[in-house]
Amino acid sequence: MITEQLEKKYAELELQLHPECKKLLEQWEEKKKAYSGDTFAFTVRDKTIQLPFTYKSLSGTRIKKVYLPRYHDWGDILKWQLQENVPGEFPYTAGVFPLKREGEDPTRMFAGEGGPERTNKRFHYVSLDQPAHRLSTAFDSVTLYGEDPDYRPDIYGKIGNSGVSIATVDDAKKLYSGFDLCNPKTSVSMTINGPAPIILAFFMNAVIDQECEKYIRENGLEAEVEKRKAQIGDLPQYNGALPQGNNGLGLMLLGLSGSDVLPREIYEKIKASALSTVRGTVQADILKEDQAQNTCIFSTEFALKMMGDVQEYFIRHNVRNFYSVSISGYHIAEAGANPITQLAFTLANGFTYVEYYLSRGMKIDDFAPNLSFFFSNGMDPEYSVIGRVARRIWAKAMKYKYKGNERSQKLKYHIQTSGRSLHAQEIDFNDIRTTLQALYAIYDNCNSLHTNAYDEAITTPTEESVRRAMAIQLIINRELGTAKNENPNQGSFLIEELTDLVEEAVLMEFRRITERGGVLGAMERMYQRNKIQEESLYYEHLKHTGELPIVGVNTFLSKNGSPTVVPGEVIRSTTEEKEYQIAALNAFKKRHAAKSVATLARLQEVAVNNGNLFEELMETVKHCSLGQITHALYEVGGQYRRNM
Amino acid sequence: MSFSLQYKVRIVTAASLFDGHDAAINIMRRIMQAKGAEVIHLGHNRSAQEIVEAAIQEDAQGIAVTSYQGGHIEFFKYMYDLLKERGCGHIKIFGGGGGTILPHEIEELHTYGISRIYSPDDGRRMGLDGMIEDVLQKCDFDTTAGSDYQKLTEGLSTQAWRNIAQLITLAERGHSIALNTRSGAPVLGITGTGGAGKSSVTDEIVRRFLYHFPDKTVAVISVDPSKKKTGGALLGDRIRMNSIFNPRAYMRSLATRESDRALSKHVREAIEICKAAGFDFIILESAGVGQSDTSILDFCHVSLYVMTPEYGAASQLEKINMLDFADAIAINKFDKAGALDAYHDVCKQYKRNHQLFNVENNQLPVIGTIASKFNDAGINRLFEVLLHAIQKKTGAVFGQLKPAARGTDLTQAIIPPSRVRYLAEIAETIEQYDRWVEEQSDIARKLYQLKGTINIIENKLE
Repeated sequence: MITEQLEKKYAELELQLHPECKKLLEQWEEKKKAYSGDTFAFTVRDKTIQLPFTYKSLSGTRIKKVYLPRYHDWGDILKWQLQENVPGEFPYTAGVFPLKREGEDPTRMFAGEGGPERTNKRFHYVSLDQPAHRLSTAFDSVTLYGEDPDYRPDIYGKIGNSGVSIATVDDAKKLYSGFDLCNPKTSVSMTINGPAPIILAFFMNAVIDQECEKYIRENGLEAEVEKRKAQIGDLPQYNGALPQGNNGLGLMLLGLSGSDVLPREIYEKIKASALSTVRGTVQADILKEDQAQNTCIFSTEFALKMMGDVQEYFIRHNVRNFYSVSISGYHIAEAGANPITQLAFTLANGFTYVEYYLSRGMKIDDFAPNLSFFFSNGMDPEYSVIGRVARRIWAKAMKYKYKGNERSQKLKYHIQTSGRSLHAQEIDFNDIRTTLQALYAIYDNCNSLHTNAYDEAITTPTEESVRRAMAIQLIINRELGTAKNENPNQGSFLIEELTDLVEEAVLMEFRRITERGGVLGAMERMYQRNKIQEESLYYEHLKHTGELPIVGVNTFLSKNGSPTVVPGEVIRSTTEEKEYQIAALNAFKKRHAAKSVATLARLQEVAVNNGNLFEELMETVKHCSLGQITHALYEVGGQYRRNM
Repeated sequence: MSFSLQYKVRIVTAASLFDGHDAAINIMRRIMQAKGAEVIHLGHNRSAQEIVEAAIQEDAQGIAVTSYQGGHIEFFKYMYDLLKERGCGHIKIFGGGGGTILPHEIEELHTYGISRIYSPDDGRRMGLDGMIEDVLQKCDFDTTAGSDYQKLTEGLSTQAWRNIAQLITLAERGHSIALNTRSGAPVLGITGTGGAGKSSVTDEIVRRFLYHFPDKTVAVISVDPSKKKTGGALLGDRIRMNSIFNPRAYMRSLATRESDRALSKHVREAIEICKAAGFDFIILESAGVGQSDTSILDFCHVSLYVMTPEYGAASQLEKINMLDFADAIAINKFDKAGALDAYHDVCKQYKRNHQLFNVENNQLPVIGTIASKFNDAGINRLFEVLLHAIQKKTGAVFGQLKPAARGTDLTQAIIPPSRVRYLAEIAETIEQYDRWVEEQSDIARKLYQLKGTINIIENKLE
């Protein structure tokens, strides 16, 4: 009989079907059911979370958060699950979490100007009445290059401009004062690379000392601390009145460490708990610095060694909620790379850190969750799938190449809309670009998003322009109907095709880099730099000839030719702020003069003996300034050597 | 071409302190080179003092700096003041910073004495070429005008950078130089193939010299090729130098100028001038050379040949003339694949060339180095070998060596050699997965079709 033959063939074929695949097919109907109700339940770190699953439009239409394909063919159903799948399931193409976090827009409050007090005020201004405090810190160029503020004119003019000046642990305490850094709803991101380990040590000490402060208050030890402070005398203070929203948390121990006033075992206990709780990100991506952004200060190998030390410290001290690095394509894109190159170089850098940490004996599942990514979103079509491709490649590599667990397989990333796509002509149009880029990002399920202000092409953003930029995100998230759904890209022929093409292109770039000896070998030949430069020139050329239309820039010009907008006034730090920073630094150095020399010598000793430098930096920063520390480290680790 | 220059224009280019934006200045300096200028490019993140001192030592007519990070008013004025202070007010300052420098600030800087700050509007009006031509025309003057040869020579000292620089310029222009050479300072010649890392090796030698001998001075003469077509040159050795920014060090970059050689015609005079100035040690670094070039030997007491493990087959070594003459051979980038083979091959060739068949390899002046690595042990050894050769050949002893500087041990490779293919392996893993997905979904599709067919047939038969 023909059916018997067919049955036989069926049975034969079925044996070739992998059990995993069989299971995926068998459970499909069940999965469809799970995604059909009005609520959806899932587990995160052993906790079951139940969230509403539908949204009702004004017309009464029910919009689900996740839609599944209407396929019948098992081949399609299987392939979809193996290459796409629902958000939160391997290969995480559509997202790493089943549903987006409720009650927390992926919005970061960006600030950095003048001294720590001014930035602190700004942080409080932008986070007033916000349920979650996601602070993003920009540092001034003096800090970015690891130097102390100084009267030398070429330094002086840059103190507190385009970022905040942070030279000591006390500056960091002031900067984040009034924010409970161990509250799970607080998360701090720091855009710093060259001197990242030192600034991170400032920050971690600020966190620990906040917790010490809480302990002191809870146990009524204030009087003792005051007595101790009186003995020392002349301690630093928050300059000016506290802004609205700042309750002063973090200021009690200005000039002191919790370890100066609390018994050792209590301090250590508080420290351990603080470290395992604190949430945030430090950029610290030295590879992209050498490839694109140029804020390297140490020799590359020494800088990498310190990154490894930070990660090792994070593992040892169970720092679980803090990203030790934000592997960044943003600056690669800003320097001119196209989206494919951005993605390929960034992922390649990420895998380089993985290989380095593995070679130092760390275990994949111990460090992979501490890695995060950061991309730029511009106007090109490939930006619509940058997150999808990144997640898919990372997940496949982590699962099959590095044997990482599910947590390690999940790539989480921050998006900033492209600064390069903002123009100094017809600056009002910039918000339109930013809106579209933000939409790409939100449809692509980014984990965090920063929208640029429209006037960033010409000046430091104002409160008004920043408010508009935030409104872009809020309007998409709260008003736009289709954004109520969380997998709008899935099932689009265009998106599927682009995803495959971009993934293929990235893998091809991996091979090109391999031919040049991997990421480090390619860097030595300036491969990344040259490629970024070529792509930048290509863009400029097309923009110049008008082949790449840019509205209000090279086409659709206004009657008066859409001239470049020149800002009337630019926000700059004041003389008073600069003087205050220098005075505060000098007072710090004077206060710690008795200890700083020996402390720096010990740091150098640890370096020479190949110890963990971050462990030591956590102590060093109690007595030494940023500039003192970098200069001591140059002597044992070498300064960056520029390339051409 | 209507654009031409009367004098050789030398320009120092850089991005300002704490400023990593080097794309614009890189484009500018390329155009300058194409228009015939000799460009001493310092790269990003350079302090006012570094830029000014480089301009003086290089006897440049101009400085071109971009500044995108704020603080430009102070930065440009400070450079101007430093030049004035050092009696070099003739060196012109040019700048740009896109929209970050406001129109009224440009005015303020022009009033102060900065030659020209270019605004985005200038860029649109003049074009890139127009701006560069404007810079070069303003720099087309004789730096030595008003300087008296006699006075320049009388005022020579290791600190009189302007005198040294201008005398070298005079020599380059054909002025005859006759000096009482006071010092018999040893001259170390460093030569080798292009891209072998000569500048990094030079920097590491200078660093150790300044560290071990705290009262000694050093001059570096570094040669780079001129372009035949344009006459311009990229004098790119300074960008690699971290140790040269020191009151006891002087550096001058020379372009080969119209000669098809690894050295400038005026190397001898430049060395004489540095000797007359009283430097204790002189390093001459050549442009990248071919296998047969030995021209450096005419000018130095001791020579160092820098190469990499990537020279091709061992038979290529037979053609390298410097392996006969060099006092030391550095196989740089010793962390590269094939380094140990290269070491053995070079040692073998050295032994043949010198008839030293019974000497152990480690007794030969052939040393594997990694100049890019901080405090590299190979460079430490190379430094000692060179000092020994200098003493042997010239009798010069600079002093007692201090204990070696201590540094972090970075010998462990960031990526172990066996793991270098990691990205290709990831690509393979993913492609393998994708193939598996295709196979499996193909099976699933057939099963679905079979199931469907069976259902249809069975329904029909019933």
